[in-house]
Amino acid sequence: MSGMNLQMLPKMRDSWSYLYVDRCRIDQDGKAIALHDLNGKTAVPCAALALLLLGPGTTITHAAIKTLTDYGCSVLWTGEGGVRMYAQGLGETRSAQRLLHQTRLYVDEGLRLKVVRNMYSFRFQESLDANLNLRQIRGKEGIRVREAYAKASRETGVEWHGRTYKRDDWQSADPINRALSAANSCLYGISHAAIVAAGYSTGLGFIHTGKLLSFVYDIADLYKANITIPAAFQAVKEGLDGMESRVRRTLRDRFKEQRLLKTIINDIDQVLDIGVVPANSLYDVDSAAPSDLWDPEHEAVEGGINWAEGGASE
Amino acid sequence: MTVIILERVSISLRGELSRWMLEVQAGVFVGTLSAMVRKLVWDYLTTAVRSGAGVLIYQTNTEQGFAMEFCGKTSRRLRDFDGLQLIQIPS
Repeated sequence: MSGMNLQMLPKMRDSWSYLYVDRCRIDQDGKAIALHDLNGKTAVPCAALALLLLGPGTTITHAAIKTLTDYGCSVLWTGEGGVRMYAQGLGETRSAQRLLHQTRLYVDEGLRLKVVRNMYSFRFQESLDANLNLRQIRGKEGIRVREAYAKASRETGVEWHGRTYKRDDWQSADPINRALSAANSCLYGISHAAIVAAGYSTGLGFIHTGKLLSFVYDIADLYKANITIPAAFQAVKEGLDGMESRVRRTLRDRFKEQRLLKTIINDIDQVLDIGVVPANSLYDVDSAAPSDLWDPEHEAVEGGINWAEGGASE
Repeated sequence: MTVIILERVSISLRGELSRWMLEVQAGVFVGTLSAMVRKLVWDYLTTAVRSGAGVLIYQTNTEQGFAMEFCGKTSRRLRDFDGLQLIQIPS
């Protein structure tokens, strides 16, 4: 079913959020995907899955990658336990509509500032005083984050001495910092999958800037106080044995409770103030359809025809 | 909705289960059981399958929308990936 109609796929909101695997081989198996390890073969319903996280020791075949991307399952290569993220696959849209909108907002300083304010007021769940400048908003946000940590610490009894870790020495970090990193990495993965699935660019960040994943950090930050911070503290409270895996399990429940997959693309649209988006574009039904050609007067003219034959005189 | 699949069990055990559920095909049962009844029925089945095997599938409020439990000598295994349940075929 390659080149299939994207409408057949479950929407992002109906998907299972993620599958993390390591130390196994992934290949095509009877037109689907299967994991092979020492114990046997495990089938993966890739069309139902939003995100596949590949940890260390995984091997994946060309055919498997093709099937995964055909079915809109984002593939991310990550470090041990889903911490750190290296590479991405292709999402569930073939239309550039949202990317073009994002770019328009990004290049206009006034519009960009509006998006930044939208993002902060989304986090506060209240509208921000129009008199506050960006610096004051950042300060307000700093206080809110500090309170989120303090609240989670109070509720779970896990001690909190601040967000510190050495990037070059993972094990030296205290458990709660390791749990937070594991949780954030998973959240980055989901945000990344949603951004790519909706057809936005990961590189055009509004608050964050300069990295190819800046927009991923922007979007993930919308949810940290409500999702990853409580989940990480909860997992540490339950003990240190298998903590990283427990963090991810707790997150799966939180994603479900907060209906993250159902709302994340709408939330991104909301902070970018994109209004109503048509459910499907022509390219989702027929990815091989020729794209329009840009025209300064008409915005776009029909592509896939030869303009030497009469079309050019219009 | 609850689905139970039994293999290699006695006809009388299947008969007992058909008091609660519809036997759609040999060994395949479907019904609507409360959480408590489901647990009691399943606890009983796990002791009564002997050399046979059973699979329980029921709707629940998880991300997958359903959960599975296995008992006895099933040919496939249930694997849990950080809360996502998948099926493994042993090599």
